[in-house]
Amino acid sequence: MKRFFAIIESPFTRAVLIGIIVLSFQTTLFNTLRPFSVVMQVMLLCSAASGVAAGSESGAIAGFMFGFMYDMVLTSPFGLSALVFGFAGYMAGGVNTFAYSPRWWFKMLSIGISSAAAVLIYPAASLVVGVDGLLQTRVIGVAFTVGLFNAAFALPAVFLMRWALVKSKKQMLWAE
Amino acid sequence: MYSFTRRRLIVVLLLTSVLLLTLDGSKSGLVGGVKDAFGVVFRPVERFANVVSRPLSNVWRGVLDYSDMRKENLALKDLLVKQEGAAIAATASVREAQELLALNGLPTLAGIDSVTAQVVGQSPSNFTQTFELNRGKSSGIRVGMTVTNGAGLVGKITGVTLERSVVMLATDPEYAMSVKVGACTRPNTTTTAVPQTTTTLVSDGSTSLATNVLPTTTTTSTTSTTSTTTTVLQRATTTTIKGFTPFATTLPPVPGGGGVTQITVPETGVLLPRETGAMEGQGIDRLPVIRFIQTSTRLGELCEGVPVVTAGGSQSLAPADLVVGTVSRVVTRTGTSGPLLEVELAANLQSLNFVRVLLYQPATEIPQ
Repeated sequence: MKRFFAIIESPFTRAVLIGIIVLSFQTTLFNTLRPFSVVMQVMLLCSAASGVAAGSESGAIAGFMFGFMYDMVLTSPFGLSALVFGFAGYMAGGVNTFAYSPRWWFKMLSIGISSAAAVLIYPAASLVVGVDGLLQTRVIGVAFTVGLFNAAFALPAVFLMRWALVKSKKQMLWAE
Repeated sequence: MYSFTRRRLIVVLLLTSVLLLTLDGSKSGLVGGVKDAFGVVFRPVERFANVVSRPLSNVWRGVLDYSDMRKENLALKDLLVKQEGAAIAATASVREAQELLALNGLPTLAGIDSVTAQVVGQSPSNFTQTFELNRGKSSGIRVGMTVTNGAGLVGKITGVTLERSVVMLATDPEYAMSVKVGACTRPNTTTTAVPQTTTTLVSDGSTSLATNVLPTTTTTSTTSTTSTTTTVLQRATTTTIKGFTPFATTLPPVPGGGGVTQITVPETGVLLPRETGAMEGQGIDRLPVIRFIQTSTRLGELCEGVPVVTAGGSQSLAPADLVVGTVSRVVTRTGTSGPLLEVELAANLQSLNFVRVLLYQPATEIPQ
């Protein structure tokens, strides 16, 4: 029984559950709300927020996991979102460490920048794996909008991911 | 400074991604199986999320799209009135063409079974243009099958699970299809007056069918157990095509046509030549283009508005003569590259609801 609760309470389980719930809203609600004809990327938001909440490494793993789940519902090359979201989580965590004690606005900035960077990298990575035609000027607008939206919702996302990935303030799981 | 663990983590994640991409590229079926299994777990959660979030989606749509929707609705009503008559006349033409093809032993779209499916989801990505349908393998749908709607070509099936399938739209950059395009219509067509005759005999359950085959008129009588009203058009058919024998065709009534209907018949001597090219999607908000069309004296001048249909053939993704759209712009290019044609798709891909999946799997998509 103890072991069961340990599994239930583990960051991995929490992250998977959050991932499935967020993914379900990504494919329904956020698929409908398309400001400026851009789909808001809440899975990417969670990936970047993981990096800010629990550090680069945890962010990379959580981002990879969220991207992997996202790949399950996409027709794009399998593993591409995992790679890019993992990068976003890692980058958000890395940018956040530039500040000694990052303020709220810096966290928003980290998530916004890393999300925009991930959106820009995605079509470039697609090109590498042989999917042509995604690298267009429209990508810049999409990256800007996604970055802005993710920055706006950064703080609740960080709070959620901290609950999922960090057991206490001093103890970070999945760290070295 | 990177620690060993951090480096190792990055390398492991990178290698895992490469492994996944390789597995996906090898078409081993493992990835499809994993996706199917995930779908079984995920669908109920998604349905629940859909129910919960629908009011919010409706509010969003109501606030932002209401006025546009109202304008569009009025415009569509006008369009519908105009199209009703034309559609019936077109149906008659299509039936006539199918009869001709059948007489000559040529394949027609009418001989291909289809499944009607509803669009239940859209791709949540900003890059891929796909839709999800509520029918899958259990309805006979397979990868590669062509998807159409009432207007024309929509796309092709790229993924199938037991009860769901994914459609890649014709505007997706990965979509390519061989199509036929004709030159500009030449103005020398003749307008023929078509007299209409209606014969009805239903009192004793028998129907008299008057058939006019030029140059002589023949009347035949058949017995039917149902009460039927048959409208027969007497067509003045003149042709110079060798080996072509005019035959009687029963056409549906033209709306409001109590007297003489005007139809425009192209002269047989001006049947337009067609060239085959490759249509490729260009991504969101961009029209597909046709490449590899070579201008020639036989083809003549290319211009806007000419219809584009699928080319067909054993290696093609779709059967022949499926309506794709019309040429909206001709871009002349220098050298041997030939002109580039932008295509306005006949189907409105922004508002798809019900679509038809042709149960025609191209040879190139059948797993070996």
